Amino acid sequence: MTVGEAQRAAGTRAGALAAARRRRLRLDLGDWGVRIGSVLFVLAVWEFVAPRFNPLIIRPPTHIFRAFGELIANGELQEALGQSLREFSGGLVIALTLGILLGIASGRYRFVYNAIDPLVSALYSVPSVALVPLIAVAFKFQGDAPRIATVALFAIFPILINTQQGVRNVDRGLLEVAKAFNTSERRLWTDVIIPSAVPFLLAGVRLAIGRALIGMIVSEFLVGLVGLGYLIIVYENVFRIDRMFVPVIVVATMGIVLMGLVQWIEGRVAPWTRREQ
Amino acid sequence: MAVAERLVVERASKTFSGGELTVFADLDLAVRDQESVCVLGPSGCGKTTLLRAMHGLVGLDEGRIVVDGSVVLRPRSNVAMVFQHFGLMPWKSVTANVAYGLELAGVARQEIAERVTRYVELVGLKGFERSYPHTLSGGMQQRVGLARALAMEPDILLMDEPFGSLDAQTREILQITGVRGGRAPATMVFITHSIEEAIALGDRIVVLSARPARIRETISVDIPRPRTVASVVAHPRFVELRDRCWRLLRERTA
Repeated sequence: MTVGEAQRAAGTRAGALAAARRRRLRLDLGDWGVRIGSVLFVLAVWEFVAPRFNPLIIRPPTHIFRAFGELIANGELQEALGQSLREFSGGLVIALTLGILLGIASGRYRFVYNAIDPLVSALYSVPSVALVPLIAVAFKFQGDAPRIATVALFAIFPILINTQQGVRNVDRGLLEVAKAFNTSERRLWTDVIIPSAVPFLLAGVRLAIGRALIGMIVSEFLVGLVGLGYLIIVYENVFRIDRMFVPVIVVATMGIVLMGLVQWIEGRVAPWTRREQ
Repeated sequence: MAVAERLVVERASKTFSGGELTVFADLDLAVRDQESVCVLGPSGCGKTTLLRAMHGLVGLDEGRIVVDGSVVLRPRSNVAMVFQHFGLMPWKSVTANVAYGLELAGVARQEIAERVTRYVELVGLKGFERSYPHTLSGGMQQRVGLARALAMEPDILLMDEPFGSLDAQTREILQITGVRGGRAPATMVFITHSIEEAIALGDRIVVLSARPARIRETISVDIPRPRTVASVVAHPRFVELRDRCWRLLRERTA
């Protein structure tokens, strides 16, 4: 094969890659059909079955949908959501900042790793819920601080541990390549270590979002009854199950949207990690 | 007058596992200017370690390696290496991967752009500049690694088992680099376990023994250039050279 022929062959290969992309897109559409169909099926069964039971225990989706309208009309939902989002975002920002910094430092420097690893292991193995009352007392039950701290506590570990693993698991072959081309320490970080840690970090963020939502609701149950957690408790107590479901669905939607967003970012910044399923 | 020696290995020894595993011992090897040397040896005999030592990526326990008259302690800018594992950064496009070594060497941006264009085209990847390694075939990835090394326009090219039976094109590229507007490395060292490849590419073939590796024999390839694997196989000298290499690799004792 001459180089010219190879170049033509390469051109054909580019065409083949584009075709593979189109096939993948069609597959995606099929996947989405099944996903949406599955949700619609569950909703239909629910709608059909619910009226046969006590309305204090189960209400059909149409009633929940109506309750949604009511809670938006009287402004309760917006207020609760705003409150919850403040706690959630504040806690997540703290968890991201501390988690990434400590993760990088402990992944790179043995001293930092040894200094924080016992603490991280201990705190991570205690169910975080058990620490919420302690946080409440530490922050004297005042303002959003104890709830933000709870969200941060719930969210930090997957971020920290994943970032640390990402930094520690850099491909040795790439480190050798960097050395072979006489890299500087700074370029080693920007070319090799950080890019290879990013997929680990983002996977950690995805886990952290789920945990942060748990922290948010738990702290709203246990520290001061506010936000979406408050709506759940208050409507449970008066047996308005239709209204109780509204904040539950909002939290679920937050989780789905945010995790989907992070997954999309993963696909954009680290396309080489995307697995064909 | 003696031919200038560019790369000299002197009484080199290397052990692993705290001295328990000797990969090579008391090895002497001299590569002359304008020469291609193929190092042929059974797998696990320390060929790769030897090549890495030539580039200053691993230290020796004894002996030294001298390039252009000075002892190799760290990678030098006039030596470039092609890795067996390709060593491409998955987060960098073909262009960025090829530009990598040039950027680190502080080459001017304009010059980098020109060389990247030239060498990407030379290895037959024009049109794939913006592709990422995971979208390319193994052979294409290998040629990105080759372009990255050639773009440095090194005096000495070190290649670690670069082809296997993967990419016949890569072989051809090396033989035509100089003709096609690129600057070919004057001196090349190849590590391979393919006898045919060694005969096609080498001016000399250095056959190593199993671990601890010593030089079994150095064979001059007296088949005129240009050679390709296809043309070499048809040459009357080929069978004799191949059988000789083959016997040397098989023999358990010297």
